Amino acid sequence: MIRRGFQVAARLGHHRGLLGAPRILPRLNPASAFGSSTDSVFSRFLPEKTELKDDALPNASWCLDMLCLYQEFLEKTKSSGWIKLPSFKSNRDHIGLNLPSGLAVSSDKGDCRIFTRCIQVEGQGFEYVIFFQPSRKKSVCLFQPGPYLEGPPGFTHSGSLAAMMDETFSKTAFLAGEGVFTLSFNIRFKNLIPMSSLVVMDIEVGKIEDQKLYMSCIAHSRDQQTVYTKSSGVFLQLQLEEESPQ
Amino acid sequence: MLRSCAARLRTLGALRGPPGGRRLPGREPRPALRSFSSEEVILKDYSVPNPSWNKDLRLLFDQFMEKCEDGSWKRLPSYKRIPAEKIQDFKTHLLDPKLVKEEQLSQTQLFTRSFDDGLGFEYVMFYSDVEKRMVCLFQGGPYLEGPPGFVHGGAIATMIDSTVGMCALMAGGVVVTANLNINYKRPIPLCSVVMINSQLDKVEGRKFFVSCNVQSVDEKTLYSEATILKILAREDRVEG
Repeated sequence: MIRRGFQVAARLGHHRGLLGAPRILPRLNPASAFGSSTDSVFSRFLPEKTELKDDALPNASWCLDMLCLYQEFLEKTKSSGWIKLPSFKSNRDHIGLNLPSGLAVSSDKGDCRIFTRCIQVEGQGFEYVIFFQPSRKKSVCLFQPGPYLEGPPGFTHSGSLAAMMDETFSKTAFLAGEGVFTLSFNIRFKNLIPMSSLVVMDIEVGKIEDQKLYMSCIAHSRDQQTVYTKSSGVFLQLQLEEESPQ
Repeated sequence: MLRSCAARLRTLGALRGPPGGRRLPGREPRPALRSFSSEEVILKDYSVPNPSWNKDLRLLFDQFMEKCEDGSWKRLPSYKRIPAEKIQDFKTHLLDPKLVKEEQLSQTQLFTRSFDDGLGFEYVMFYSDVEKRMVCLFQGGPYLEGPPGFVHGGAIATMIDSTVGMCALMAGGVVVTANLNINYKRPIPLCSVVMINSQLDKVEGRKFFVSCNVQSVDEKTLYSEATILKILAREDRVEG
């Protein structure tokens, strides 16, 4: 895939070639709707080294609904151009690039973790996996909130739900158009989410203009009978700089 | 069961407050993230300075503690857990830890207190009943990262939601979140200190309209603004 010439690579002077395990890549055909900029964003997203632990894989805490839907989407990654996003403990493992100078902050913080992977104990915090369909700029997040995310007794903390939504918006915005920072975020809570049940989040990218990406999301139960939340988010596009050689 | 539980154990989830124990008797407790003795966990108030608090946070803490001296402001203690039966007397017990009994504790752990010192949410809240204002001094640690070097938008949303929830709780009662609307003006650097100011704007029946802003310690930088609608809890459903 990298062998396709694209203007963006030249613009970035980008030499990182190579994408991780083929299982992560979409199956392309020449008629694919991928733009060249999407390819380079993907290549930046996936690190060269693959011994990092991917947290977006089934484990013993996943409920049956989640496992079933995971399988369904995994099938779609083989046939319909969907991609399963890997999820590492730190965002720096994904992006691996410096934010534009002027925004970058010195990273002497030691061990940093992306917020939605802050609780590493299986099943206790955020259990989730995100699938992305580049051609239609849609993503789906399968989310199972654990007991440490409890709010009302037996239900999920609204803050943790907001966090999961922001994170899914964030990855979608990044892959759909290099969106990096949340500009605004609006959630309407319709129904409480029972602890440890499956939440399916459907996200669509609407318009992209003036350096902003507009997205909407509906979170619902697996059978779609219960709508949990409706939300929308706007992200700021930023051109990331290439990591300087060490 | 849920309905009666919800009736007894009104929501604190939208707030920062710890959830009550809805677990059935006989269910195995979950392993705690930390290995404290249960008694230590009960009584430990997390909204006091610890070694991970940086200079800004300590300074602000001292300033607000001074404001508490004449009683116009109150510091809210913050525990990892709270006994289920005490939830309805939440306000009283929040302010008097001696009333907490070990055997009544639930096994659930508060989300925003699930981290070792300095790694996640370090915060303390102060309330002014006269102004119906809740101020949260917040230092976000390295486990709350979003864009490299900055606090995750979702972590900010969690703290805004918690602060606003406590404001509504103190002003009216236990609430759930109906709408959360946040505008992010500038990203917050990881490990820096911010002030989350929330203000009850109006009450219409069971609806509490709260606005909130997130500022730097010198109040010169505005990081985010938010408007939130909270609803006084009823059963286990959100209305509206």
